[in-house]
Amino acid sequence: MLERTLDIELSVIIPIGSRHADAAALHAEYKAGLDALRQPYELIFVLDGPCSDFAAGLRSLLEAGHRFTVISLTRTFGEATALMAGFEHASGQIIVTLPAYHQIEAADVGKLVSALDSSDLAIGRRWPRTGGPLERLRRSVFHGLLARVTRLQYHDLGCGARAFHRRVLEEIQLYGDQHRFLPVLADRQGFRVQEVELRQSAKDRFEGVYQPREYTRGFLDIFTVFFLVRFTKKPLRFFGMVGVSTFAVGALLVTWLVVERLFFEQPLAERPALLLSSLLVVLGLQLFALGLLGELIIFTHARAIKDYQIERVIQYRDERTATVPDLEHT
Amino acid sequence: MTVNPKLSVIVPFYNEEENIDRMHAAIVAAVEPLGHPFEMVLVNDGSRDRTLELAIDLARRDARVRVVNFRRNYGQTPAMAAGIEQARGEILITMDGDLQNDPRDIEQFLSKIDEGYDIVVGWRFNRQDKLVSRKIPSRIANWLIGTVTGVPIKDNGCSLKAYRASLIKEIPLYSEMHRFIPAMASIAGPRIAEIKVRHHARQFGQSKYGLSRVYKVLLDLMVIKTVASFTSRPLRWFSLLATPMALLGLLAIGHSLWRLGAIGTLPLPVAGTGVILLMGAFILACGGILGELVYKLGDVREQDFSRLTGKVWPTAPLRGEFEGSTHA
Repeated sequence: MLERTLDIELSVIIPIGSRHADAAALHAEYKAGLDALRQPYELIFVLDGPCSDFAAGLRSLLEAGHRFTVISLTRTFGEATALMAGFEHASGQIIVTLPAYHQIEAADVGKLVSALDSSDLAIGRRWPRTGGPLERLRRSVFHGLLARVTRLQYHDLGCGARAFHRRVLEEIQLYGDQHRFLPVLADRQGFRVQEVELRQSAKDRFEGVYQPREYTRGFLDIFTVFFLVRFTKKPLRFFGMVGVSTFAVGALLVTWLVVERLFFEQPLAERPALLLSSLLVVLGLQLFALGLLGELIIFTHARAIKDYQIERVIQYRDERTATVPDLEHT
Repeated sequence: MTVNPKLSVIVPFYNEEENIDRMHAAIVAAVEPLGHPFEMVLVNDGSRDRTLELAIDLARRDARVRVVNFRRNYGQTPAMAAGIEQARGEILITMDGDLQNDPRDIEQFLSKIDEGYDIVVGWRFNRQDKLVSRKIPSRIANWLIGTVTGVPIKDNGCSLKAYRASLIKEIPLYSEMHRFIPAMASIAGPRIAEIKVRHHARQFGQSKYGLSRVYKVLLDLMVIKTVASFTSRPLRWFSLLATPMALLGLLAIGHSLWRLGAIGTLPLPVAGTGVILLMGAFILACGGILGELVYKLGDVREQDFSRLTGKVWPTAPLRGEFEGSTHA
């Protein structure tokens, strides 16, 4: 049994959402896998919203003498927020997140942790992987689209098993559903990301068909990442492009209508095309104005939302010269 | 007692392992005789070669060297911005890490700053680069930048520049703006001087910044021009856009009402157009109100600029910010 007072190097965060396995089984499996690492670690369960069955399971585990921390959120905030809540309580230098249901063989967690020797963030990839042809297609379309948008090739962002150094989450504020895109965001901050193949758990079997909702969510997610990666710092480039082209189409149409009215005696007032053209002109202008507002936000907050992240500042103290003030460490 | 250096020399490096030691030696040789306490801020912009290693080595040997490290390559503007953020001198000198600028020119920059200029820009009058791929595009870009911003600088692309720290630290820098920091800074109303500098052909390493970015520069330029001029009064700008729309809308609605009275039928397309224009104008005005809110909550303020660049005369005592110009 571990003592909280030990220096904890490893914090394991398990966000529990609506889809989760049985508490006792999950705990037993992860515990076995983590104990095999022979490192002091802490377990943090984050209950994202009311999961009464899971909470009851955890309570009886606690009564049985197991040690872990439970953070229960008052409502469902989303997995990324749950992760951040767990991170606030984590004291380890290395953070491991594990999924709420059996996705991987817990014995493979060690592989993730040791991958951190050569990277800052290691994400799991279930391989070899089961799944029907439709499911496989869905996955490859999702990751293919993402690769197009971000120019980063990942294979299994749905896998909840990740390991990373503490500073990764210190520099990246996750919210909503962004946990899946942690590797993308980390890569943008210049962290080294590595995909690690983990055996898929025999219990990770998804039967049935994905709801249309799942597909919509996937595409919305990609859309979000697209904006995060490409346009957050340059809103006018996007809004301006769309706005100006809308405006141009509308303006051309108006010109055409006016020419017809003036030289070909076509009455203007009764033509529905007038409505269309004015709509295009107005919407185009408005899009452009939205882009300007975005630029205004960037401009007035440029010092708060920096383009860059300084990894470290290095300066050595020199006894001979008194001109250099107190210095940062190496 | 610790004293901040008077002068900070900021040099971004991206894969310049052949040049960094030479650069350091050249700067020391040029600046040390001037007798001012100085520091060197070396920004490693995510180099993949031994640049960082060599920079740390320099820092170990020379306590005036301050190394700022990026984990990845962000580009020249973020590198400059980070250097400016980390520099502690009163006067900041920026230059390229590829030995094409000559540190011996720093002396003239300092004397210009001492004359009271806030920004001093280098002009590579005998530029040692390829004519077609670099010199001609830059000529055109400079002309455009000068025309659009009203700050006629012959050579915006020259990295060798000097700034009064109190001013430049207030200027938001992002995207690809290092090319026209003076134009950007012109929103603050600084006194800008331009002086001729030496320029050497690249001796070692590869040239990193090429032609492909010109169109981005132009886009950024337009954005800056617009944003800078409307930052502090977005409502007025948006209203200016909205007024003709609103007038047209009223006209169309009036016309269709008149038709309704005269003929008895409402011409729907015209009436609809009028409503769209009127509502569109209203939404734009709302955007202006949002803009006002954004400006109020932001950290860029015109009065800060005017305080930094304005001078009180004839006899009022100068404030701390202006020390650099009155002493030495």
